[in-house]
Amino acid sequence: MGSNDLKYEVSQNAYIKLVLHSLKHPTSAVNGVLIGRISSSNDTVEITDAVPLFHSQIPLLPQLEISLILIEEYFSTKGLNIVGYFHANERSDDFELGGVAKNIGDHICRYFPQAAILLLDNKKLEALKKSKSSSAIMQLYVRDASKNWKLVQSDANNRFSLKEPSANVILLDYISSEKWNDIVDFDDHLDDISKDWLNPGLFN
Amino acid sequence: MVTKTEESELKNLEIQVDNGGGGAWEYLSLVRKLKVRRSDKVLKHGLSILNDSKLRSKLGADEWTLYEQVAVAAMDCQCLDVAQDCTKALRKRFSESKRVGRLKAMLLEAKGSWEKAEKAYSSLLEDNPLDQIIHKRRVAMAKAQGNISGAIEWLNKYLEIFMADHDAWRELAEIYSSLQMYKQAAFCYEEVILAQPTVPLYHLAYADVLYTLGGLENVQTAKKYYASTIDLTGGKNTRALFGICLCTSAIAQLAKGKNKEDKEGSQLQSLAAKALERDYKQRAPDKLPQLTTALKSLTLSS
Repeated sequence: MGSNDLKYEVSQNAYIKLVLHSLKHPTSAVNGVLIGRISSSNDTVEITDAVPLFHSQIPLLPQLEISLILIEEYFSTKGLNIVGYFHANERSDDFELGGVAKNIGDHICRYFPQAAILLLDNKKLEALKKSKSSSAIMQLYVRDASKNWKLVQSDANNRFSLKEPSANVILLDYISSEKWNDIVDFDDHLDDISKDWLNPGLFN
Repeated sequence: MVTKTEESELKNLEIQVDNGGGGAWEYLSLVRKLKVRRSDKVLKHGLSILNDSKLRSKLGADEWTLYEQVAVAAMDCQCLDVAQDCTKALRKRFSESKRVGRLKAMLLEAKGSWEKAEKAYSSLLEDNPLDQIIHKRRVAMAKAQGNISGAIEWLNKYLEIFMADHDAWRELAEIYSSLQMYKQAAFCYEEVILAQPTVPLYHLAYADVLYTLGGLENVQTAKKYYASTIDLTGGKNTRALFGICLCTSAIAQLAKGKNKEDKEGSQLQSLAAKALERDYKQRAPDKLPQLTTALKSLTLSS
């Protein structure tokens, strides 16, 4: 059984953190890791949390390696793994999954073979206010049998869903209050280690 | 590029102005001086001055500088009508000005009228071939259209003329990195390090690229540049300290069998590790357990 049958479900907190991170740095690419586990029914990857990583020097290895080591170390004590990667392109009209993102995805697959990549869909983000859509404003990519990253079509049997149906409503609320100012990513942490990449209390 | 002190001064002013404590003009001037990108704030606070005729007249001749600054900020925020109004005001005052002509071309660019903007820039460059800003707009336009190889071409041409523009070298390095052309990125950083050898940021970026390139020689050099970053920053740069640990671990794996660097290498690594642990204990104690485990695993593999 490959990733062909698995479903991916994103929790509200993970989802909102990632989008807010993208909004905090509108002029650069950003990335993050998805945290979670495989469901007890073995058919779903539950993405329960996310850690925003970087908004600069994304193609460089050292900061990525350190962040993955520290993040995996923290969450393994909670019985969770790094289960995927999030990427938002620099340009708003760029809908391609670039080489760097694929490489990072491949790297994560070495430790969690069913890892997925989520790519921010800027068109859907912009349309969010008017569309009142309740589906995720991200694209899901999984690896096929030849280890190539393939886009999972959004209408195909609901493989990708938001756990909480009202996630977009909450997201819009946070956007209007400019909540992205409170997001801390790993870049911020490396610049000032007193800043916590876990973002505790973000949603309080 | 901005120092930490400058960044905090800017942040303080920003908070002050945001909360109605005045100082808008000082803030806008500092943004201009530091050449940072704070377009939404500039737009907001700049407009509040421009829309108030009393405040505007207090500025005197600086009024026009503000119009230009707000026009550019408005374009960055896609508020094209504001940008248009500011440009109009400037055109009325300086009808023959090339500087205003440049703004008009930028407005075309902001609208996405790439061909018209390109024509406008080209004709401006004919009269003034050394206008750095216009050269850079060309690179920006190529990048905005997703024409990365075009951006690289223009940027290289620019650097042939203006080889002392360190920001341009850094931009080129970042573009190369995004295409995973790390050797070329390394070359760019070598240029800026040659020109400005005491700027730690360049040493750090160079080290990062070398580590990413990989291979024993590159990682050994990366370690030297992490060390020089630590030297130049008084040991306060967290990324460089981590870099040392990563390099030592990677070198040990790549050089299994060669015993030369062992003692030196592990000494530097343990110093870096100790410095990190000390810092985390003081400023991020809840993250200390993961750090200790991570450093242990890096040391074990070396």
